[in-house]
Amino acid sequence: MTGRFRVLALLLTAAVLQATLFDEIRLDGVSVECLLLVSVLAGFHGGPERGATVAFLAGLLHDSVGSTPLGVHALVYAPMAAMAGHLSVRLVEGARALTMAGLVGAVMVGVTAAASVGALFGLHPVSGFDLVTTAVIAALSTLVIAGPTSRVVRWAVTGGLPVDISLTEGHAADGSLDR
Amino acid sequence: MAAPRPTGVPRSTLLILIAAALTLLTLQYRGVEPLGAFQRGVRDVIEPLRTVSDRVASPARSAWNGLLNYDDLRAENERLAVELARMRGRRLSAEADEELLERLLGEVDIGFADLDTVVVRILGTPPGNFATHTIEVDKGTDDGLAEGMPVVTGAGLVGRLESVDRARSTVRLITHPEFRVGVRLVGSQDEGLAHGGGRTGFLVIDAGVRADAIVGAGEVVVTSGGRSRFPADIPVGRVLDPGGGSDFQREIVVEPSASLENLSFLNVLLVTKERTFDPSVLLDPGERSR
Repeated sequence: MTGRFRVLALLLTAAVLQATLFDEIRLDGVSVECLLLVSVLAGFHGGPERGATVAFLAGLLHDSVGSTPLGVHALVYAPMAAMAGHLSVRLVEGARALTMAGLVGAVMVGVTAAASVGALFGLHPVSGFDLVTTAVIAALSTLVIAGPTSRVVRWAVTGGLPVDISLTEGHAADGSLDR
Repeated sequence: MAAPRPTGVPRSTLLILIAAALTLLTLQYRGVEPLGAFQRGVRDVIEPLRTVSDRVASPARSAWNGLLNYDDLRAENERLAVELARMRGRRLSAEADEELLERLLGEVDIGFADLDTVVVRILGTPPGNFATHTIEVDKGTDDGLAEGMPVVTGAGLVGRLESVDRARSTVRLITHPEFRVGVRLVGSQDEGLAHGGGRTGFLVIDAGVRADAIVGAGEVVVTSGGRSRFPADIPVGRVLDPGGGSDFQREIVVEPSASLENLSFLNVLLVTKERTFDPSVLLDPGERSR
């Protein structure tokens, strides 16, 4: 399976899950942000450029399944993925707790930014305490599925190969042997 | 061989993607149809999966709601019991007072009861976290529905169809802040424009009604018809706060007649054309009945 088909399969699966399973499971009316998670993880595993492209497509799918104006989520997700890719290289890669905290922060920023952009383009603005509550619940519930999603996204955007290789020791950065 | 990892900031790619997103937004804002068709196509493709998901999840959702919202359900049950008792009292009072009964019947002399309707089942809220004051229903263009059609219950106006797919539609509720409807106050015959009050759950008439118009609390509010997309005389609610504190801008708060909580089924009125102005709506309800 080529890289593009893997990414396509990943995005379609995530969109279907967003519109079905995660639409049913809501905490206080807030659902998991599956496509935002995929976008951030695509940047984290695939780097800023590849991540931004995957995130752009994820945003378009989110706008389609969620009936929001086409481009609202794409406008937010692409910079989020690029930022995640950039920060993962410089700051948080390797530190698990910091990575999870960064993921929670990224989802909260993504949710808030999507609400703000949506308000600019005619969606009913969610603001104040409601927005904070929505962002926090969405981030924490999204974190629950981050582990398995991370593995799938990593497989899709890197082809299952290790992302970084230590040339001096012959080991992948995540500890696995590079065979 | 390991996948190479780009580490630079992809400024050009990112700028192109942002420009593309802004272009799409602008085009859709201008109503370029292929974009809407693309979105409807995506939703239609996953519609069978969503239907299966709804059916599979329905029992679990009921159990979950029963578990988490037991207190709410109990409070709702008590509220309905009180309302039922009040309705019984109102009926007895009406039977004893023929004049009052006639006036009540005049108030519910609603034209929309004669229109063709499609019964739809509420599925829940649309996917995503920002679809407030909107709900999804289980019928679409296959059943003759179209965007803009009014949605009602026996008690009155609930909203209008905002987007319609092949087998599913989204309803914008009357409490949505962007919802607009032309209304008429039955007592004073003043007409105005109401919009949804958002979280308050009420509607607000903030345009059209004269500052010195005499409006009483409890006055019935119906749709005005005319050039509005809604047929005339659909009950909207009752005046909760007649306002009138300002000389320049008057805000009349209206409590919707149709309860938007715990709904299961709705009626969609099969009307899409703009209706011509009917002068009889300006007459007194008593004169109209003659």
